[in-house]
This record gives sequence, C-alpha cells and structure tokens, in this order.
Amino acid sequence: MGKKRRGPTLDELLARPWCYYCERDFDDLKILISHQKAKHFKCERCGRRLNTAGGLSVHMSQVHKEQLSAVDNALPNRSSLDVEIFGMEGVPEDIIQSHNQRVATQFQQAEAERQAVTGNPPPGTGVGGQPAKKPKLESVSDLKKRLAEHKAKKAEARTGGSSGEATPVGAGQTPTMGGFGQPAPAAAAAAAPAAAPTTTSQFSYPQPYGTASPYPQTASPVYPNFSPGQPQFPPTAQYPPAGYSPQPFQGTPAASFGTTPSATHTPPQTAGAFPPRSGSLPMPPGLPQRPAVAAPPVNAYQMQQMHMGQAPALNGGETTQAPDTISTSVDDLISGAAKQAETTADKPKSEEKPKKDKSKAIRLVYSDNETSPEEKMAQLARYAFVPEQKGETVLEEVPASVVTGTTREMDTVEDAADR
Amino acid sequence: MASNQFSVASPPTDAISALKFSPDPDSTRIVVSSWDKNVYLYDLRDENGAVGEGKLLQKFEHRAPVLDVCFGATEDEIYTAGLDWDVKKIDVASSTQTVLSSHEAGVRSVVFSKEHNLVISASWDSTLHVHPTNDPATAPAIIPLPSKPFSMSLTATKLVVAMASRALHIYDLKALAMLTAQSEGTGPNKIEIEPWQRRESSLKFMTRSVACMPDDAGYASSSIEGRVAVEWFDPSAESQARKYAFKCHRQTADDVDVVYPVNALAFHPVHGTFASGGGDGVVALWDGIAKRRIRQYQKYPSSVAAVDFSGNGKYLAIAISPGFEDGKDDVVEGTVKIFVRELGETEAKGKGAK
Repeated sequence: MGKKRRGPTLDELLARPWCYYCERDFDDLKILISHQKAKHFKCERCGRRLNTAGGLSVHMSQVHKEQLSAVDNALPNRSSLDVEIFGMEGVPEDIIQSHNQRVATQFQQAEAERQAVTGNPPPGTGVGGQPAKKPKLESVSDLKKRLAEHKAKKAEARTGGSSGEATPVGAGQTPTMGGFGQPAPAAAAAAAPAAAPTTTSQFSYPQPYGTASPYPQTASPVYPNFSPGQPQFPPTAQYPPAGYSPQPFQGTPAASFGTTPSATHTPPQTAGAFPPRSGSLPMPPGLPQRPAVAAPPVNAYQMQQMHMGQAPALNGGETTQAPDTISTSVDDLISGAAKQAETTADKPKSEEKPKKDKSKAIRLVYSDNETSPEEKMAQLARYAFVPEQKGETVLEEVPASVVTGTTREMDTVEDAADR
Repeated sequence: MASNQFSVASPPTDAISALKFSPDPDSTRIVVSSWDKNVYLYDLRDENGAVGEGKLLQKFEHRAPVLDVCFGATEDEIYTAGLDWDVKKIDVASSTQTVLSSHEAGVRSVVFSKEHNLVISASWDSTLHVHPTNDPATAPAIIPLPSKPFSMSLTATKLVVAMASRALHIYDLKALAMLTAQSEGTGPNKIEIEPWQRRESSLKFMTRSVACMPDDAGYASSSIEGRVAVEWFDPSAESQARKYAFKCHRQTADDVDVVYPVNALAFHPVHGTFASGGGDGVVALWDGIAKRRIRQYQKYPSSVAAVDFSGNGKYLAIAISPGFEDGKDDVVEGTVKIFVRELGETEAKGKGAK
C-alpha cells in the first residue's frame, strides 16, 4: 500500500545533478549548468558566461590577453582547468564514486538521526514497528535458508520438466512467498550500501511476507532501486494491490498467471537460477500495464548483475557493484538530459536577442542635451571663478582683456555658462 | 590587476578634465589638467628610464579649474585652457605661465598645430582664438562660432570643432594660418572666416568628443547617448556614404538600456584604430575601417574622463574620475586615477575586415 513520503530517498539524492567544482547539488541539470556558467565559467573582466573552463580560458586569452589559471569559486582541489566539465559530463569516475559515497553516508546519518528523534520505524516497514535489530539478525539467516529452499525448489521444478515458473508459483505457494522476499532487501541493501544496516532490517522480517499481501511489500523496496531516473512515482500507483493480492493467484489456473509474476517480479524469480527474461515476455492480458521499470534505466546485464551480486552482498560481501552500475546509468540519463538541456537552453538565448532590441526602454545617464557636463560642473560653487582676481596675475601685455575684465567684474562664471 | 597596466602615482585630487601624451614618439610624458586647478606633468619613466609607476615632474597651479591642456612645439611647452577664461602658455623649464589671450567665458579646449604653429582655443563664449606661436607679438584672431564649442581636434591640415546644437565646423588650417598672419596689429581682431565645411553631427544627441584620424582622412565623434560616429572629410558622395555610427557604452539593467556618455576618443597614431572611454568606466578599442571592436578593457571604478595614446602608440593612458556626468558628486579619495596600459605589439591593431 501507499507509504508516506518523508522526503527524498537515497536514490533521489544520488540522482541529483551536482557541481564538480563546488559539490553543490541541484534540482535539475539545467540549473546546474546555469550555476556553472554563472559561478565557475564567468569572465571576471566582461561578465561573459562561457560553457566550459576551457572556453573561458580561450576567451580570456583571446579577448583580454590574460591567462586563466584556475576555475573561480571552486573547491581547492577542484580548480584545475584540465578537467573539461559541462554539467555532469566530464566528471572523473572516482570523483563520482566518492560523491555518491558521501551522499549515501549523509543520507544514512540523517535517517538515523530522524529515527532517533521521531522514534518512527524506517520507511517501508510494516505497521507494527518492531525493534530493528532483532528481526535483522533473524532475517539474515532466515532469508538464506529460504533462498536455499527456493533454489532447491526451482532446480527441482526445472529438472521435473514443468514449464518454467508456473509450477513453482502455483504449487509451492508458501515457500515461493518466502523466496520473493529474499532478493528484495538484498537489492535494496546493495543499491544503498551505506544505508544497509538500517534499511536491511526494514524489509526483512518474515511475518508480513508469509502472510497477508507480500507483493506490495516486495515491490516497494525493489522499485526505487530499479528506477533511479524516475524515483518519484509512488509504488502504489504502479501496483494496484487488488491485481496482486494472493487470492487470484490461488484461484486462477496456474497457466494464465504463471507468466505474470515473472514479468513484473522478474528479479525474485530469476534471482536464483534463471537469466533475466523480462524482455522476451509478452504483455499479459487483463492485467494492469506493466510498469516501465525494468526497461529504461537498467539494462538486462545490469539487472542481472544486481541480482547476482545480492546473495554475497547480504552476507556482508562487497557492495559497491550495484551503486556502480546505478551511477553509470544515472550518468547516462544525465548526459541525455544534458543534451536536452543544451537544446532547450539554446532557445531562450535566441529569443532573448530580439527582445533586447525591441525593448526601447533607454535611460540616459547624462540626459541634458543642451548643457555639457563641464558647464554644469563649472556652475558648482566650488569651481566658481570670480574674475576680480584677474588683475593680480594677468600680464600687462593684453590691454583688451583688462578692458573687458572691468566690464565683467561683477559676473561670475555661472552667468557666462548660461549664455 | 593585470601586469601590463599600472596606475600613475600622485594623481590629481579632483576630477580630471583632460589628459594628453606628448606627441614625441620617444617621450613618455603625460600632461593632465584637473578641476583641482592644477596642471600635472608626469613622466612614465623613472630616473633609470624604466617605465613603472610614473612620477610627477611638475605641477602648475592655476586660478581656476583647468579644462584642457596640450603640448606645444616641444615637450617643454604646454598650453592650457581654463575656467578663468584664459589661454595660457606654460614654459616647463622656467615654470612661467603666460596668458596668450582671454575669452569672455570659460575656455573649453585648446589645441596646437605643429604644422602651422598655431594655438587654437575654443571657449563657451562661442569663439575661437587663433594664436600664432612663432610671433608672440601678434594678437590672436577671433573667429565667431554659431554655438558653444564642446570639443576640438585637428590633423595636419584640418581643424574640427564640435559645438552645441549638433553643429560641427571643419576649418582648413592653412587658411586660418594665413588669415591670422594677415591681421597685423595689437588689438584682438575679429575675422569672419567661412569654415571649409559645415556639418550637422550624424548623432542625434549632444556631441561629447571629437578626434581626428592620424591619416587626415576623417574623424570620429561621440555623443552623450552612447554612440560613436565615424566620418570622412572628403565631401564626395562616395566618401560620405562610408560614414556610420554605432552604439557603445551601454548596459542593460532590468530591461532598461542604461546609456552612458562617451566622454573620450583617441586615435592610435600608428594603427589608425581608436579608443573610446565612456561614463560606464569602460574603455574599448575599435577598428574604424573594418567596423569592428578590437577589444574592451575591464571596467574601471569610475567614469572615464580622458584617453590618449602615446606618440609611438605603445601606451594607452586612461584618466578616470567620478561625477563627470551628473556634475555634482563629491570626489571621493582614490576615485581619480590615471591608468597607463602598456599595449602589446598587435593589441591595438585592427584585425582586418571579416
């Protein structure tokens, strides 16, 4: 069922574009790019915004005859000009890794703090918030046991010659249920390695899985991990619980439904023995549309990797694999979005120019068209010149000026300027 | 900030009205006139001949703010025009000031023609005074103008006077010299001389500055409305068709185009390109032939009052002072400065038409 959203999930946080130079993160790529242009790629001489540090360097040397040595406003170790950055493109892999690691750690900390403050169970936990630690310990062994059972069942079913998954689902309802539950926390844990200790516990206690409606439960934790690109949609929208409640499963012939769970719940089914088959499966009739989960962001290989790497991950093995693939897929998405942003960013630019020409709002800094600034200044009291002093310094050779000098003795320069 | 630019030590204490380099190609002397009633003579070279801070050689006090200044036949000869209505000659060696003539209002500009040995001053009393320098006994010739002059510039043969009401006169210096020489006598003699050409400014607003091309082909003029026009002397329709004007020294703020006056123009003596300095504190270099901007320098902290190239074109001096356009700002310490930019070999050279 629907869960209350408590703010961004880890995947949402990881999917946020961030600035290589200052590690700030942004809502979307467009904002990141405009941030970079304004903060890091802006020419301090003329204010022109360039797209990259290299572009700025060329601009500085050609236009201003100056050499750009470092990127402005960058973190001390990130100010190099050697890395060509545009949006999220060009960020070195190791930097992405460490950034993701940091985000994950922060997320986990915040999560832990919030749980400590509110006393709430972690998101995704069932209604009866249980202490986290106990089920976790229980579940690891429990899950392993069930996974083994499930694998055995699978192998049995295959050797038994029955058609794929249909038989195990139909026949071994209870054990399969357990099996469904297994990979889910595993995937979640792998995708969020840092968050593993806390998050693993959420999904793993056996009671809900064995009983009422296991599908929504498994679905929701799995979901966000497979769709880092569009992490916003609530799982409930995609998985109307009615369609997946246990009743139809048991009631309907196995043949018609056998494919369905495998289509939507490919991960659990294939985790043990089978290669992923989601691509080859037909759209089942009479069921809600298959969510576009498995297809776009994670390819079959990544999917498989995520699932293959799960069992060891659960046991505390190496967990970096999944984030790795996720971050690369995030990267793909971002570079795609970057291109989009580029094309869309070009539009307003071209629109802006004619606008500038159109707007005839002009403010003259000096608007007096009759009197020059110098004349105005000459009228100021502090510059006023009184010609009376003239006689003292003037040289005797110019009689004319003496004559005129007497006539204008009362005058000040102000009058002269007004003439 | 940039290494190829430095600010000259001991600048004037009030707004700068004019700045001129010595026309001598080997000289690095600058003369600056200021509203603080002084004329300052600087040399960019120190005792060892190295160009550095620049040092103040001499300071000549006047009775009133000095509005314009220029070098004479030698570096030891300076002519000044001031609010005290006088046109003065300063002999640097002896530090003596001689009044050449007096106008009936403040004197806006003064220029010196080497070729014809004339000192020409323009005053707000709407007259030009033409002083032959080879014969100091000769009284100056007075030429009436239709309007108040705002700016003046000359070439080897022409004198361009920009006036109020967008009027612009071009005089033939040879004719001026002859007429002045003819008028013997002691008293001031009025001469009615028809200018070689009368023109109306191609700019719609008040002319702020004019500067002639070093090749004697034409001139550039600027207005208070952020615009510069480039025109040619040649009255033929063909040459006149080449004239053009362009906008510059503007900033867009909140959809409003803030337009600054273009206070100063100066042509490069070698490349024939020119620099403009605006109320926005920006100095730009232009190629008047190719109609292209060569470069624009960083914004200076206050309005650009004057610009000039050195005689050999290696240096560009930029005088900045505040309150030039609104005319009432108090001058804050440190806002009046003279920057000298050492130009690279091709920095002021046109790129050629594209």
